[in-house]
Amino acid sequence: MKRLIILLFTCVVLFGASCARFHNAPTESKDARYVVISPIYNEIIWALGAQNTVVGIDLSTTYPPEVKNVQTVGYHRALSAEGILSLHPTAIIHDNNIGPPQVVQQLQQLNIPMKQFSAKNDSFDGIKALIREMGAYFHKESRAEELCNTLDTQRTASLEKVKQYADHPRVAVIHFGRASNVYLVVSKGSGGDGGGVSQMIELAGGDMAVENTGGRGMQRMESPEIIAKANPDVVLLTDYGYDRLGGSTDQIKALPGVATSNAARDNRIFRIEENVLNYFGPRSGENIAKVAEIIHKK
Amino acid sequence: MTTQHGRRQLVLVALVVVTLLVLLASIRYGAIDFSIAEISRALASLFPGQPEPTLDQRIFLELRFPRAILCLLVGASLGVGGTLMQALFRNPIVEPGLVGTSSGAAFGSALFFVLGGVFHIGTSLWSLPIAACTGGVISTYLVFLLARSREDGRASIVMLLLTGLAVNALFMSAIGFLSYIARDPQARSITFWSLGTLSGASWKAVEIVAMSTVLGSIIALRYAKQLNALMIGEEEATYLGVNVNRLKWIILSVNVVIVAVATAFTGVISFVGLVVPHILRMLGGADNRFLIVGSALTGATLLTLADLIARLSVRPAELPIGIVTSAVGVPVFIFLLRRRQYVF
Amino acid sequence: MLVGSNITFRVGSKELIKDISASFAPGELHLLVGPNGAGKSTLVKVLARLLRPQTGAVEYGGADVVHASEAELAKRRAVLSQAIEIAFPLTVREVVMMGRYPHFSGRPGPTDENIVDEVMKHFDVTEFKDRYYQSLSGGERQRVNFARVLAQLWDHTTDSCRYLFLDEPLTFLDIRHQIDFMKRIRSFTRDAEVVTVGVVHDLNLAARFADQILMLDGGRVVANGPPSEVLTTERIKQVFGVEPTMVQTEDSGIHLIFN
Repeated sequence: MKRLIILLFTCVVLFGASCARFHNAPTESKDARYVVISPIYNEIIWALGAQNTVVGIDLSTTYPPEVKNVQTVGYHRALSAEGILSLHPTAIIHDNNIGPPQVVQQLQQLNIPMKQFSAKNDSFDGIKALIREMGAYFHKESRAEELCNTLDTQRTASLEKVKQYADHPRVAVIHFGRASNVYLVVSKGSGGDGGGVSQMIELAGGDMAVENTGGRGMQRMESPEIIAKANPDVVLLTDYGYDRLGGSTDQIKALPGVATSNAARDNRIFRIEENVLNYFGPRSGENIAKVAEIIHKK
Repeated sequence: MTTQHGRRQLVLVALVVVTLLVLLASIRYGAIDFSIAEISRALASLFPGQPEPTLDQRIFLELRFPRAILCLLVGASLGVGGTLMQALFRNPIVEPGLVGTSSGAAFGSALFFVLGGVFHIGTSLWSLPIAACTGGVISTYLVFLLARSREDGRASIVMLLLTGLAVNALFMSAIGFLSYIARDPQARSITFWSLGTLSGASWKAVEIVAMSTVLGSIIALRYAKQLNALMIGEEEATYLGVNVNRLKWIILSVNVVIVAVATAFTGVISFVGLVVPHILRMLGGADNRFLIVGSALTGATLLTLADLIARLSVRPAELPIGIVTSAVGVPVFIFLLRRRQYVF
Repeated sequence: MLVGSNITFRVGSKELIKDISASFAPGELHLLVGPNGAGKSTLVKVLARLLRPQTGAVEYGGADVVHASEAELAKRRAVLSQAIEIAFPLTVREVVMMGRYPHFSGRPGPTDENIVDEVMKHFDVTEFKDRYYQSLSGGERQRVNFARVLAQLWDHTTDSCRYLFLDEPLTFLDIRHQIDFMKRIRSFTRDAEVVTVGVVHDLNLAARFADQILMLDGGRVVANGPPSEVLTTERIKQVFGVEPTMVQTEDSGIHLIFN
């Protein structure tokens, strides 16, 4: 009997508590309201100065720091239709990497406009095409041109700087794949998940130490042979993975195969931001120089 | 007898009231809050001659309402599944997941995620539930067949539990292997699916889960008395006229169907099947007829509460519901363990 | 009348009972005795139709029961075993009511409720009826089980004979309860004209209460008859390996004293 009362009480409390959270998003505005589910699209939108149209972003969008002020609709593979729609978007912008499929179907059923951009940011030309396409969409064409020009200028400047380095270090890039909860090593070659990384390292005057086996951009780092055989001069870890290991090189040397490498011997193990290295974006021009500075001998 | 009987009636009536209250909360609150007036307008738009529903009303009719109903049905399935398993195994620390149903269903869907991309099979949204169901059925029957003794074809309950443990381990490592070979987005789907979510609810899903839940519960009720007899032992039940082997097959089948169908649409949700029968027993004793009806209601209520928490705590984002049920279920379970001495 | 003919029961390659034939008349208390591993429990289970013998037949009232349905058999055959363990909160009344399960489908009727009340009164467990079975002592629990088993056979809705089997029901009971039980079993057997076949270890109890004793050794029948015939010093020494001193009294029959 007593337990029944407790159960009833809990229900009533829940009722009352949720009443306090009554705040639906405004429905009157005729302006564009976008939910944007892609880190690179969001970075470009902020760079274009069109961020006031964005009412919702995904959990993986972290740059620029100002994105914190926008509501997040959750992880891009675990969305909820109602959550997105509670922000009353006029369109949902995504890069075809959203899920679960039932939610995508629900949104389509409700005739919610969904937009994808055709250009892909897999190279310098690609990122410029994307910036221009998005510039047109957001009516920020002149700003888009500015960004592309800056990109070109910075790239040229960076490549010049790179020439001053004499060495061509062999670089191994280790990325922590949060969703798969393992350390991945990026291999050489374009396409796949590691395409951007490979190009950035090469533009910065380095060589990707790990060969591409099996046509995939990133491989799991379970076998020590992957890195040991490659014997990199420099090891780069993306930010999340580096922080997870406590930031000390001893822990990092504990990763399979790293301990015996030149990088470990010379203590050339560095941290790098994921959004600097992993994909092409508006800042990639200057990022080349940043990467070069890290990987080359001082 | 009257005191116990009367008490049970009271408990069931109270449960019906609570379930309705919780259902009302579920359809009203969420990422979008609907007032009673809005809900009435939305429902009214279904009748001919009424204006077409607005987007918000459509959200209510096509997303919120089916989700609330699906939540009740899945909660009921899991609750009844838990009661049936505990009655069958004569062990209060047992869940449908223990005989391999959940891990089989999870494996079926993981296989679908990985192969579906490769072979482009099943563009229909029914493929995933069917894959999960098939996995659940295979794993459960595998357990049952492996646990049969060679001499007289009977499967003792201890053997079922041990075989279930082994088959679970097998399927979980198979899932691990699939995650290993899967490309990154697929691997993520597997992870999030195994945490459970009701966000994919639709009226089609409600139809199917309603059929399995209602049919399954009716069949289970018909065998409630035999399950009672089983409580004093397999031999004793045989002496009371129960065909124990046949009972096991039937109840196991009912359990597989109702749990696998529910799991197919929502992913793996744990602890509901474990905790719900305990609560009912504390309220009104161990008669299975009372337990089956009561655990359907209690499961529906608890899962709806969990879904409310999942939807309200980080809105407009959502927590996977499996996290909520585990977070609440584990402490409750430990508390229950410490209160009573259970005989195994 | 219960008749077992040429019963052999094997597990794997081992024969637990070999070619046993015996008949058991209604209204008489038959007790099986023998050393450990003699096959007593197995025989009871075969006679109760829980186990099916590889060879031989078991007949209830002239009809072979090998293909009888469980449900039908349960209406006229009940088995009392050692105390059962229950892992769930069941009240005493619920446990006793289970004895009536073969007799109703769905909900119990007034007859069933009445029988349960009567039977609980008969075994002095009415005061426990709303208590949980788990909270009772060993002796109290066994009284409840006895009530349950007899509730199964309490009324005779058909003219056919009723069969009661006891598979070592006196374990865990103290001396007072052992004697009490045996008295009740004997009076029920006689009053209700039931065929009763039971397994006991204590030869003195067997001597005192049995109408017929079936002695088993190594899976075979060694002797079958009234206690005075079966319980001889030489036979007991041969089968059990101990030699008793026999004392016969007027009112309470044979007593065996072991050194």
